[in-house]
Amino acid sequence: MTLDGVLAGVLDGLLAALVLAAAGWTLAAPAAFPATIGFVGFGLLLTLAWVRLGAPDVALTEAAIGTGATGVILLLAVVRLRGGEEEVSAATPGRALVLAAGLLAGAVGLALALAVLALPDPAPGLAAEAAARTAPLGLGNPVAAVLMVFRGLDTLLESVVLVFTVLAVWSMAPDRHWGGRPGPEFPRQDDGPLALLARLLPPVGLVIGIYIAWVGTDAPGGKFQGGTILAAMWVVAWAAGLVQAPSVADRRVRLMLVAGPLVFVLVGLAGFGIADGFLAYPPALAKPLILVIEAAMTLSVAAALALLIAGPPEHPPERVT
Amino acid sequence: MAEAPVLVALILAALVILASVAGGLWRVLRGPDPADRLMATQLLGTGGIAVLLLLGAATRQPALLDVALVLALLGAFASVAFVLASRLVGSR
Repeated sequence: MTLDGVLAGVLDGLLAALVLAAAGWTLAAPAAFPATIGFVGFGLLLTLAWVRLGAPDVALTEAAIGTGATGVILLLAVVRLRGGEEEVSAATPGRALVLAAGLLAGAVGLALALAVLALPDPAPGLAAEAAARTAPLGLGNPVAAVLMVFRGLDTLLESVVLVFTVLAVWSMAPDRHWGGRPGPEFPRQDDGPLALLARLLPPVGLVIGIYIAWVGTDAPGGKFQGGTILAAMWVVAWAAGLVQAPSVADRRVRLMLVAGPLVFVLVGLAGFGIADGFLAYPPALAKPLILVIEAAMTLSVAAALALLIAGPPEHPPERVT
Repeated sequence: MAEAPVLVALILAALVILASVAGGLWRVLRGPDPADRLMATQLLGTGGIAVLLLLGAATRQPALLDVALVLALLGAFASVAFVLASRLVGSR
């Protein structure tokens, strides 16, 4: 074995040990706040693990959604849970239930690991066929071809789920707050580190977010990853008090939220006329149509994630006088 | 893949940085102060970016630059979220 092979093996071993250590510690953490921080660290290490497994697409998604967006949503959930200790402890399952759930999850994980190890080498799959059929569509990334063409229906349903999650979060608001602005309100910061960051980061982040969404058809990237970055940039400006969250009754917000799934369904229905059925694209038009869907979806993903981070309306709507 | 001696150097550097990330991970998990955790998370982010760039050069995968770019942006974002969360905790 060559020296670089040995070193790469040591690197992979250390990475695997770190991922397991971070996961174990996060599960055993004494309180929700440190556990969330542990989860973010775990996500970062998992990103590196996906890279070592040769899956940069998954690594990018893990970095953007698994670490960035989920970490922040969990962090704010921890904040909201403070002050409600009684309700939280009443809703927390007992030790026996936790143990049973842990054993069940462990057994499923072990069974999956054994199944993967039992696969013949090379593993059977449709990867070669998917890769061969990517180029005729004008796409460079087989992952994009699978998500948007071969399994377009799954992606369409996923995009609809995002709208439902926002509805679920909004439905947590008491009636008197309906129509108000979602989430806490932050005082405007005119100087200090947060004000500086909120002015410097978004211009860079908007370019990178749009770039990541745009390259998705030819390289790792796409609407979910790009949209997450756009949402994060809005959150930075929101936290510094530079922008206010729009009211949940604002039609523009609602339109932005459903634009992606709507365009997706319309292009899918157009498939009956211009190709052989729902969500089928004529090969010559495949790439432009996919880019139209991706553009609308990027907007909707950004809106949905920003609204998920902001949470339900926390104040009654302002009276227009 | 890069040339053999360069490849060894790149992977070795990635390994050393990953070991320093492991040291940072200890602080992330143990704390004791929230500020310790925040600083260590930033170290983890920076180390992760460095490992990605080195591996990207070693395996000639330009896509890893994009992953590093996303980590750099979201690392800054995570520190904002952290400050945000601790401020909200203080106000209630």
